[in-house]
Amino acid sequence: MKRNQKKTEPLKAGQRQHIAFRMNFLFVAIFVLFSLLIFRLGYMQIVKGEDYARSLERTEEIAVNTSTPRGRIFDRSGKVLIDNEAKNAITYTKTSSTTTKEMLALARKIAQLIEQDTQRVTMGDKRDFWILLNPVKAAEKVPKKEQAELSKDDNKSQKDIQREINQLTRDRITDEELATLSAEDIEVLAIYREMMAGYAYSPQIIKSDGVTDQELAVVSERLDQLPGVNTTTDWDRVKKSDSAILGSTTSPVEGIPRSHVNYFLARDYSRNDRVGRSYLESYYEDLLKGQKTIVKNIKDRTGKVVETKTVKEGKPGKDLVLTTDTDLQKALEDVVSNKLLRLKQGPNTSALESAFLVMLDPNNGEILSLVGKKVVKDESTGRWTIQDYTYGTFTSAYEVGSTVKLATMLTGYNEGAARIGEVKIDQPINIGGRYKRSLFNPNGRVALNDIAAIGRSSNVYMFRIAMGLGKATYRPGQGLPIDKKAFDTFRENFAAFGLGVKTGIDLPGEYTGVTGTETVPGKLLDFSIGQFDTYTPLQMAQYVATIAADGNRIAPKILKEIREPSPDGEILGELIEETPVKVLNHLKNSQAEIDQVKKGMHYVYYGANGTASGLLAGAPYTGAGKTGTAESFYYTGNKSNPVIPTINLSHVGYAPADKPEVAYSVIVPYISTNTKRYPSATASEIAKEALDVYFEQKRQRNAKADGAYPDVRIQK
Amino acid sequence: MKQTNRLGERFDWTLAFIILLFAIVSFFVIGSAQTSEQYTQNFVLKQVRWYILGSFIVAMVMYFEPDQYKKFAWYFYGFGIFLLVFLMLAPGGPGQIAEMRYSAKRWLHLPVIGTIQPAEFIKTFFIIGLAKLVSTHNERSLNRTFTTDLLLLGKIALMLVVPLCLIMKQPDLGTSLVFISITAAIVIVSGISWKILVPVFTFGAAAAGGILWMSLFAQDMLDKFGFSPYQFKRVYSWLDPYSYPTDEGYNLINAMTAIGSGQLTGKGFLERVVYIPENHTDFIFSVIGEEYGFIGACLVITLYFILIYHLTKVALSLHDTFSVYVCTGVIAMITFHVFENIGMNIQLLPITGIPLPFISYGGSSLFSNMLAIGLIFSMKFHQRTYLFDADDND
Repeated sequence: MKRNQKKTEPLKAGQRQHIAFRMNFLFVAIFVLFSLLIFRLGYMQIVKGEDYARSLERTEEIAVNTSTPRGRIFDRSGKVLIDNEAKNAITYTKTSSTTTKEMLALARKIAQLIEQDTQRVTMGDKRDFWILLNPVKAAEKVPKKEQAELSKDDNKSQKDIQREINQLTRDRITDEELATLSAEDIEVLAIYREMMAGYAYSPQIIKSDGVTDQELAVVSERLDQLPGVNTTTDWDRVKKSDSAILGSTTSPVEGIPRSHVNYFLARDYSRNDRVGRSYLESYYEDLLKGQKTIVKNIKDRTGKVVETKTVKEGKPGKDLVLTTDTDLQKALEDVVSNKLLRLKQGPNTSALESAFLVMLDPNNGEILSLVGKKVVKDESTGRWTIQDYTYGTFTSAYEVGSTVKLATMLTGYNEGAARIGEVKIDQPINIGGRYKRSLFNPNGRVALNDIAAIGRSSNVYMFRIAMGLGKATYRPGQGLPIDKKAFDTFRENFAAFGLGVKTGIDLPGEYTGVTGTETVPGKLLDFSIGQFDTYTPLQMAQYVATIAADGNRIAPKILKEIREPSPDGEILGELIEETPVKVLNHLKNSQAEIDQVKKGMHYVYYGANGTASGLLAGAPYTGAGKTGTAESFYYTGNKSNPVIPTINLSHVGYAPADKPEVAYSVIVPYISTNTKRYPSATASEIAKEALDVYFEQKRQRNAKADGAYPDVRIQK
Repeated sequence: MKQTNRLGERFDWTLAFIILLFAIVSFFVIGSAQTSEQYTQNFVLKQVRWYILGSFIVAMVMYFEPDQYKKFAWYFYGFGIFLLVFLMLAPGGPGQIAEMRYSAKRWLHLPVIGTIQPAEFIKTFFIIGLAKLVSTHNERSLNRTFTTDLLLLGKIALMLVVPLCLIMKQPDLGTSLVFISITAAIVIVSGISWKILVPVFTFGAAAAGGILWMSLFAQDMLDKFGFSPYQFKRVYSWLDPYSYPTDEGYNLINAMTAIGSGQLTGKGFLERVVYIPENHTDFIFSVIGEEYGFIGACLVITLYFILIYHLTKVALSLHDTFSVYVCTGVIAMITFHVFENIGMNIQLLPITGIPLPFISYGGSSLFSNMLAIGLIFSMKFHQRTYLFDADDND
């Protein structure tokens, strides 16, 4: 211990104090530093904690495009209307830290493994690629001297100057130099440009068309040497029906529509997603689109993704079962097409271009068939051919004529301008020297009750209702002052049938028709017989269905059921939801009033003087309907002869008469340019043929099975 | 001659208990951190092993008396410098003894022992050397004057410059700063007059601030001094990580998001969601902040503070200057590590590769700290109480 004592210098008291003070000073400094840490932590975790928590939800998890297939679309009997076809695809996912060098090297590797189509490579791509491959030569294109010259301009920012230099470099690449790019280089470029086109963390398809099994195998084997590359299944959307209302989707190359970029991006779509572009595909986008896989990218120190963890597995989209029946649709399309072609061969048909037939179930609004056809000249053969114009059934509107008289009559009851069983005199009326008359009664004087007025289609009976609405006193030969509010009264009442308003169909782009703006008395009378405002074929179907359903206006629907994807491809998946029946409103009329109108519609088919008398003679079913003829004008777009007077034919009805299960409307616009002579029964004939088809198919189904649709089997 | 003979009383149980608490915290946090599956090893088991080996180091260091360390101080210092020079000259190619990692040459890959980071150990050697220098100087010049103080400062500076240059070359900014802070703390306690210290520290602070300012607003000037744009980027990614979200900026954003989103009470054990690379080593505090929130983070900081408090108390109870300086050096080293590591996680300081003492995973770091703590144990263990009495009676 002696030795130690000598070596260790004991502290003198003064020195001790000195050291103690300095130590305490140090200790206080450390205390201050640690307090700083705690203050900063408090600020981050307590004051700003919620902000960080929120930003976390945004940044860490990324929804990626995985190959979750879109939902399929079936008709009500299980027939596939839109299918997905699987195909092999090779994808590449870049990260935010991937360099062009890495991508180029990768593209070279891939090029040795697969054949890539080089058609999409542009001149610009080639130039950029040449610069990438020849950095030294590219730098020489704009010599330092010239760069210095360019930099002298003080008005330009560094960025502008660089852009200018880049542009000059590009422009100065000669064709010979571009020609030095070998065929292999071009193939590498074709792959490289696809890789470049992707967005960080979003798989970009390098090749999906014509990936051979061998290519898939060699790439799959080498995935560990190809960071970011993956082999997956891509899906092609295949339409098995040519109906336009099924709509279309964008291709992955097109990505989300430019017009709605922000809308889709806000909903977690990525730019190269396939989305519904029109009609059903667009309207039910939310159901059809699959749920994306949510992944968390595990990154190393440098931000490279080393692993991708799936947080939430993706799900395929929901399958949709439509209310339409493909067999019925097909048969009815044939009915309309054949009729249209035959008509077009007749005289005075220069304006005739389309025909429509809508058939729906008045009890629940299910659309059984939407048929819209256009007749066009095939430029190559010079023959008339038929084009699908299904969407015309709710995007085009026409003056429909007398078919609206049911609504006029019920409006009359409603507004006190007519009573059940009321008899009015049908005789030509004279307003300020201009005569207006019923078609069936050009000159005479006929007493009609309300049933016969509908059955025989009396214009004058309707005029008298209109006059009642307009609180006008009719003095033959004189003017007819009316209360202009009558237009509103009429339209409000018509709207209760769906006329002039949206029907509420589950498809986008519905048109409500033209609402006339003139308010001269004559137009009120025209309105009452369907010669003023225009209505779509679908509105007409909803209108007659409302009467058939005793006053319930039901929104027509094309979607019947939403189902889970089929588990085995044999039967439809589990039912998620059956779309509900949407009753939009109820007519204010009493049941007796509606029944009275129905009797009138029955008279049309079965009354001695009915406008379509004998139409259903011998048919195994009953029905009730209403015909219509409107004088219309066809706008040719031709300067010398811009407007031609034409005839529109229409027909509405329901069947069977006692217990309606279908309601239908037919419109054949601009059937003839000769307003005196035209095939006036056309619309009725289409209606009859459609009914025949419907009831015949129903009979066959009943004979085959227990009557219900075998709605779980998928029919390819 | 009444040195307490009962070993149990001479052992610093408090210090041992504090270290045990750190070990428990370390196992839990590493256990959670490794679930991010950046690596496939079980780091908890390895860390337990390091702690057991560390205890042996403590026992070994404790066995020797402080006087012996003082005697051999220059050899320790010399060995440290040798290691650094060796690391610099050793081949750094792939598979070779000093293979570069993350573009720095900091590690020695030794057979059997594994990978070690010499700079970690050299810190403790440096502390011993510096303590020896200062205590010897103070013993010799009993009458302090301005001149002797300046002379001491000069000697200290010379002693610092050699390892500092070698470490800067690796490059390893974090460890360089550790050396500077150890030196600063010992300089303060060494008793050098404030008349010298105030201008020196003011100048140092001004220089650091000036470089920082220039890296933002006068880069041309710094270019002439030999700084590279890479270093400016570092400053940017520290001050504005959201605009420069690459490498460090990216890690900083993640660490801050992790800690901030922990809020007051944290998300709970294993409930972490933010992925941060190397979160079992340098970014381990982000795990604490995220899983245990403000409360957990404060508890850990408080634990460090208790450790520092205890070490200060030990230092004040010691009787020979050499031990006091060693203690000071150890306090400075631990303080700087804690402040820098937590600070870089919460954007208070720029990111450097500095682990959190006793908690971060890693053998080198833990051994280095255990080495230092072993010195404290040794001082406490071999302390003679009679001198204390004698002093008071003086």
